[in-house]
Amino acid sequence: MWTAAKKIKDDDFSEFDDFDEDEFVVEVPSSSGASQLPIKTQSKKSDVVYNDGSSQSSMSHTTEQILSDDVTIDEDEDDDLMFDEEEFETSDSFPSSSSSVSSISDLKITEVPTNLTGNHWEAYHCEAVMVLVLLGYLINFLVGRSKNARLASIIYRSQRDLLDRNFALVGDNGQTRSIQSTDDQMNNDLTTNNMHKESESLYILWCSGRTSIENMLIEIRFIKRQCLFNSLAAMIKSINDTIIYTIDYSKDDMETFVFCLAKKRCAAKLHRDMNDLSQFCSERKNAEKRGLSGNYQILNEIGEVSSTIIDNRVADFIEKFPDALEYIHISDQYTGMKVQNDTQQPSPNTPNPTNSPPTTGTAAQQQDALNTSERSVRRVLIIAFNLVARNDRSLQVTTESIGSDYLRFVLHLIERVSSFRFTSKESKTKAIKNRQRIEEQFLKNVYQQRQEQAQQRREEKRRAEKEKIMQSDDPERQRKWEEKEHKREMKRRQPKMKQMKVKAM
Amino acid sequence: MTDNRRPARIHRFRPSMITPTDDAIPDYMNLMGMMFSMCSLMLKIKWCAWIAVFAALVGFANSRTSDDAKQVLSSFMLSISAVVVTYMQNPAPMTIPFLQ
Repeated sequence: MWTAAKKIKDDDFSEFDDFDEDEFVVEVPSSSGASQLPIKTQSKKSDVVYNDGSSQSSMSHTTEQILSDDVTIDEDEDDDLMFDEEEFETSDSFPSSSSSVSSISDLKITEVPTNLTGNHWEAYHCEAVMVLVLLGYLINFLVGRSKNARLASIIYRSQRDLLDRNFALVGDNGQTRSIQSTDDQMNNDLTTNNMHKESESLYILWCSGRTSIENMLIEIRFIKRQCLFNSLAAMIKSINDTIIYTIDYSKDDMETFVFCLAKKRCAAKLHRDMNDLSQFCSERKNAEKRGLSGNYQILNEIGEVSSTIIDNRVADFIEKFPDALEYIHISDQYTGMKVQNDTQQPSPNTPNPTNSPPTTGTAAQQQDALNTSERSVRRVLIIAFNLVARNDRSLQVTTESIGSDYLRFVLHLIERVSSFRFTSKESKTKAIKNRQRIEEQFLKNVYQQRQEQAQQRREEKRRAEKEKIMQSDDPERQRKWEEKEHKREMKRRQPKMKQMKVKAM
Repeated sequence: MTDNRRPARIHRFRPSMITPTDDAIPDYMNLMGMMFSMCSLMLKIKWCAWIAVFAALVGFANSRTSDDAKQVLSSFMLSISAVVVTYMQNPAPMTIPFLQ
């Protein structure tokens, strides 16, 4: 019936046949604007714009856009409407007006994607925020990095002369094959003209070749200004930049004692975390008795040490720079921090051809540590200073003025420690006793661990054997193995009794 | 003034002499960057890709000089490619789930 209707329509309007659909296609863009065209092209298959009284023809024949301002289409529409009603008013299969409404409402109208709506860049506000945040972080990174670098070079310049006068080797990154004379070094190696950069917030300088000490490592630990989060956290937690001087002595250059003078806030932490301080120093005393401010505490193993180390020079320094000194840690039994010591033994003074980085603790390293029945200890003097802006000056100006003062203090302490020897015999015996006690504890631990490991290995071997036997499916072999196991168990339980019997005889 | 320098007592620097500190930020950031990149590529989530870029940047800022530059660079590349691919798949602007 639908085809019949189409034929009749064609006959009636045959004179307009040529203009049938083309007319509509041509006239639509000419009468309306260009904006209709893209919509028209999109809607070829699915989109239909509903217009009053024109639904039938558009649905049944083509998918043209019927516009209210298009006269020709309306005309045609009216004719079609009349014609359709005449022909099909009783027909159900042919879409009537009511069903056409529902069928049109069934049609899915897809949304035009937002990026084609015309609001191009305004819609991407989240992305803009992200990009701004990233740029802000990047700018902070560059600014923070350059500030740290500038501070490091200021410190280096303020201390370099004094270091050159005291050390044969200043600045070594450990990678150049040979150490040339200082003149050549200045020309070749970048590290000698500045500190060696370990990270954006850690600069180091290695000095060696001096009487009474083996080497000195200067570490400058800056606040991580290059990371936005860290610099904000530092502001909240009031963390400072610190310079840490770590001096290694050889065996003969230092007396055997453990001592620490520290600010209250870090004395507790050091006492808890450092192996040697927790093993050798039993309590924390206030430093007021020694003439220092109540801000400092002393951890001491041998009584006479504190009066020797804390002399007038130290007191004057603390008075002149009240917040500068963070801690002085002197130890001949230095093994690092407690947590790490479970997995590693720090590098000893004896030369070690394969130096693994201290923070990794593999099973092999643990095994090596157990095999050596010697504790690897270092004889160290560690002095930590805070870098704080003084007297309302900027940090840079302060650093320039105090750099050499700190170094002079360090050199004085180096001499003091290397020249100190116990005056009383009791001190010496006490020190020896303490060290023997700790050594015994250590050996016991090592022995225990070795036993445990051996036990574990035996268990595993037996388990492997058992599995092998069980899998072999040979009842004879299984029975034999079980008998052997039984005998082994009996033997293990019996030996004590046997020994007693022998003794009685 | 006596000269305290002794060229005979020179010892070479060993990297293990540096006081070890617990600083796992660069490793965490690398891991985070990779995870969020994969998340954004698989699940086509835009904000994951942006967080991956951020994590790569933070990891780079906190990295040590002795660390391999290749790892940091690969982290960056992965996160930027995640952003690009996610936007190519769906050019619509990003929507943050809990804000809308």
